[in-house]
Amino acid sequence: MAFAISRPCGDFKTSYGADETIFATKTSLIFCVGGIGLLCLAPLVVGAYWLNLLIQIGYLGIAALGLNVLVGFTGQISIGHAAFFGFGAFASAYLSNRFAIPVFLAIPLAGIATTAVGLVFGVPATRLKGLYLAIATLAAQFILDDFFGRAAWFTGGVAGTSAKSLSIFGHEVIGDRQYFYVVLAYVLLAYLAVTNLMRTRDGRALVAIRDHYLSAEMMGVNLTKYRTLSFGIAAFFAGIGGALYAHYLGFVSIEGFNILFSIQFLAMVIIGGLGSISGTLMGTAFMVLLPELIEALAKALAGSPIDKALSLKEGIAFLKEMTIGAAIVLFLIFEPDGLAHRWRQIRAYWKLYPFSY
Amino acid sequence: MCNRRSKQAMVLGALFSFLTLPPLTAGAQGIPVGHLTDYSGPTSDVGGPYGQGVADALAYINQRGGVSGKKIEAETVDYSYQVPRALAAYKGWAGKVVAIQGWGTADTEALVALVTKDQIPYFSASYAATLTDPVGDSKAQKATPYNFFYGPSYSDGARAMVKWAADDWKKNGGAGKPKYVHMGANHPYPNSPKAAAEEYAKELGFEVLPAIQYALAPGDYTAQCLTLKQSGANYAYLGNTAGSNISVLKACETAGVKVQFLGNVWGMDENAMRTAGTAANGVVFPLRTATIWTDAAPGMSLFRDVSKMSDASGKAYRPSHYLAAVCTTLYMKEAIDWAAANGGVTGENIRKAMYVKGNWVPKGTEGVCKPSTWSAQDHRGMLEVDLYRAEVKGPTEGNLTDLIANGAIKMSKIATVDLPRKKEWLGW
Amino acid sequence: MDVNLLFQLTLNGLIVGALYGAVGMCFVLIYKASQVVNFAQGEFLLIGAWTCWWLLTKFQLPFIVGFFFTLAFMMAFGFILQVVVLRPMIGEPVIAVIMVTIGLSIFFQALMKWIFGVFAQPFPEIFATRSIDVLGLQVRTVYVMSALVSIGIMGGFAWFFKFSRMGLAMRATAFDQQVAQSLGISVRSVFALSWGISAMVSALAGVVVGVANGVSSALSVFGIKVFPAVILGGLDSIIGAVVGGLIIGVLENVAHYLDSQFLGWGNLYQVAPFYVLIVILMIRPNGLFGTRDIERV
Repeated sequence: MAFAISRPCGDFKTSYGADETIFATKTSLIFCVGGIGLLCLAPLVVGAYWLNLLIQIGYLGIAALGLNVLVGFTGQISIGHAAFFGFGAFASAYLSNRFAIPVFLAIPLAGIATTAVGLVFGVPATRLKGLYLAIATLAAQFILDDFFGRAAWFTGGVAGTSAKSLSIFGHEVIGDRQYFYVVLAYVLLAYLAVTNLMRTRDGRALVAIRDHYLSAEMMGVNLTKYRTLSFGIAAFFAGIGGALYAHYLGFVSIEGFNILFSIQFLAMVIIGGLGSISGTLMGTAFMVLLPELIEALAKALAGSPIDKALSLKEGIAFLKEMTIGAAIVLFLIFEPDGLAHRWRQIRAYWKLYPFSY
Repeated sequence: MCNRRSKQAMVLGALFSFLTLPPLTAGAQGIPVGHLTDYSGPTSDVGGPYGQGVADALAYINQRGGVSGKKIEAETVDYSYQVPRALAAYKGWAGKVVAIQGWGTADTEALVALVTKDQIPYFSASYAATLTDPVGDSKAQKATPYNFFYGPSYSDGARAMVKWAADDWKKNGGAGKPKYVHMGANHPYPNSPKAAAEEYAKELGFEVLPAIQYALAPGDYTAQCLTLKQSGANYAYLGNTAGSNISVLKACETAGVKVQFLGNVWGMDENAMRTAGTAANGVVFPLRTATIWTDAAPGMSLFRDVSKMSDASGKAYRPSHYLAAVCTTLYMKEAIDWAAANGGVTGENIRKAMYVKGNWVPKGTEGVCKPSTWSAQDHRGMLEVDLYRAEVKGPTEGNLTDLIANGAIKMSKIATVDLPRKKEWLGW
Repeated sequence: MDVNLLFQLTLNGLIVGALYGAVGMCFVLIYKASQVVNFAQGEFLLIGAWTCWWLLTKFQLPFIVGFFFTLAFMMAFGFILQVVVLRPMIGEPVIAVIMVTIGLSIFFQALMKWIFGVFAQPFPEIFATRSIDVLGLQVRTVYVMSALVSIGIMGGFAWFFKFSRMGLAMRATAFDQQVAQSLGISVRSVFALSWGISAMVSALAGVVVGVANGVSSALSVFGIKVFPAVILGGLDSIIGAVVGGLIIGVLENVAHYLDSQFLGWGNLYQVAPFYVLIVILMIRPNGLFGTRDIERV
């Protein structure tokens, strides 16, 4: 359904395979591959600041993708995603430090460990719906937070735990430039995997649960299995994202995996567009770049005539936060279906020009 | 509809053009320094005065000609206590700045591995003992050769208060074993000194009671106070920040708990005393400077000049955090001075500069900044801890400057505890 | 087994639980009427507290007068907020509306910090005696006041929803918006009124917390603290919110008692409500008093 708009008129598919392709037209495939190619060139061109932002978008995008599978495709709500992200980070550091597992393997293993935790917390999902589920995930967030604080053997407690750097087949990945490619590879794999998932029977089952779970159950979709599976998938990607984060910073501490972080993930998914995979990346980019953009504007504003006229001075710090909140609110008022929908509208406009309906 | 679309496109285009702004305009003639603050996030009540102190001190330094003739080009980023923003700011600075004035546990811990790798001295306002081991063979198990802070670590501050409590118990004729209890949230910041303080308390003959937990946010803590009362504790360490400490002090005052409260550097200050009112009366806490704003000391005139950088009238009251911030910045400045004269201003040289002087007091701050000594094996700069007692006798309505002026809020020094520089105490 | 301490803690739990119940009622009111989970509830408390503080300190008004003006202001504020921000979101997916309330909470937090500063401020003394002796426990007068007022509000709400036209209209709208509209009920004024009343009662809770702990931006955590209470009682039941609040209040204190006397873990005060919440949700997925979602196929 998402691809319907870009399908040219009069194009008849003659096989299921042709109907289920990820890229409906040759052009979109070329653009996508071209985009990836440009990204591969990015580390050679952009500065350290932008490289860091791209890497952040990368690992946060993977975690947000997991959340989108849960919230956008299966229709559940989760406000505990940051706890899974943190669990993945600690798990990867723990596995690579304690068991001397090479970091290359520790990252996927951390994802699997987080999946196990996610499945445990997905059990209430089988009985709870809607906002009750949301609060159960909130409880999961607090409980995991508490666990992180107490389990000094796992998280290093007060001191936090340091994470080793990644090395691939003997070559150690040093510096942001090289780490960018690692993150890019994971992003591609993750997004490809989820896009593929949505084409399969399981993916359709998840969407069926979201749209009308009673009918889905009547058709033979096992609600318990798929709801729990959805939590597991969300936790898996959160774990991978967290592991990448841990090895990027080289140090994991309990600070920062709190409820505000969970809410930011939710914002990424909602602003990007629920149920849209490309939207997730757009939403993540929005949430990461918005504070930086506002910071740059604030710097430009400080000391300028507008500042003096309104005597803002210290108020600029608060104005920044207010603008972020206002941006979220206004964005959702004018585009509640998210960036993906707006992007589709823009594409459709250009495609159908001059018939803009 | 066409108009709206094209308008949207134009707005987007204008916004995206801002993305080409470089975050730090590299001035060829200046000394770039990074500055992370929290002016608008959860720790802004203490982050505001501290950040202001650093900013004013940097402006003061530049006004007096900078360092070796070059101005310090500081970029201040308010990261609102959100780690991703601190990280992005740091990445914009890596390779350019020679030192960073940091802030709290969140940013310091997130960046600790990175500053060690990139060799950039990091002056934090987080005084966790795990940042004091430059070599890495202590209990901290983490080598942090590029992390510095001015002031006693949380653990050393707590140890000093435990020592004072032991003496206080004997002085007041207490019989038997006094009882000590740690109160705080289950979170790195309050937990930082817990093990060290409890261990030392046991050593000095205290009976250490099980710790009492309370969250880092204001709330109703009557339950904690009642259990505190029932446990018969004599000395209770409050590990959290000011906001929740105020709630605990007020709840315990209502519940009639008679305990000597021991605070921490960020958990009690003039503003907290004002908000808590008489509940804060008697709380003992460490201070990083030898005097407070209203004391007369030879160095205080420098601080008044620094304060004029943002308050031309000179009437604003500057809390203890402001003074500590100015001291921290001046230490950095003198280190950069030495580096400029001994091989060039690089992160590595600034680090070496920190080890040069023993019992170091920045020029002009005598009597305010306490002598500090850093060495290549030991980043515990200050082991002599000044303890103050908060005195609040009556209602605390009105603004802070007036309350201090008419003596409704007072902080008086009660002891100076000189801790031994024990190797076994390093790093925890 | 210190029975006296247990008794005192239970009593404290009931009194503080009444406060949670009051905030929970506001929450449920908005949810019942407009199906919106209001993540900005904590900020309503904050705005109410700051407004009252400002009126009392700037204009030296007596407490009752200042409080009354605060309530009036908050009513208007809730009303305007609903009209400006939430009306355009009618019909949009619930999760988008939740995100809007989250965005609002960020906005208002920063706005309050800007207007009133980052430092915690003490509330002027409003009662002659700071604390009252209730059955052997010293309780702050303001908490007793809040408990009494909460009971009054509960009674008021009960009467309102059962016997008044507007209350009946609200219940109809909560049950089925479209049917209510087709029967001539102005859904828009129902929404606006529910937000206004919710903001007003939040202001009361905010003032109570402000008097007890000083007004600071961290006050808004009460909004999150209330979630377990509301879910426990059932998201669409006002009685449930109150009962949930009381249960959570008592639970916290009793858990702390068990923890300090026997277990020594230290964290039960914070996490016990969440563990109990999960258990209760497994048994009764719609909370204790929430309407059972009966699915007819």
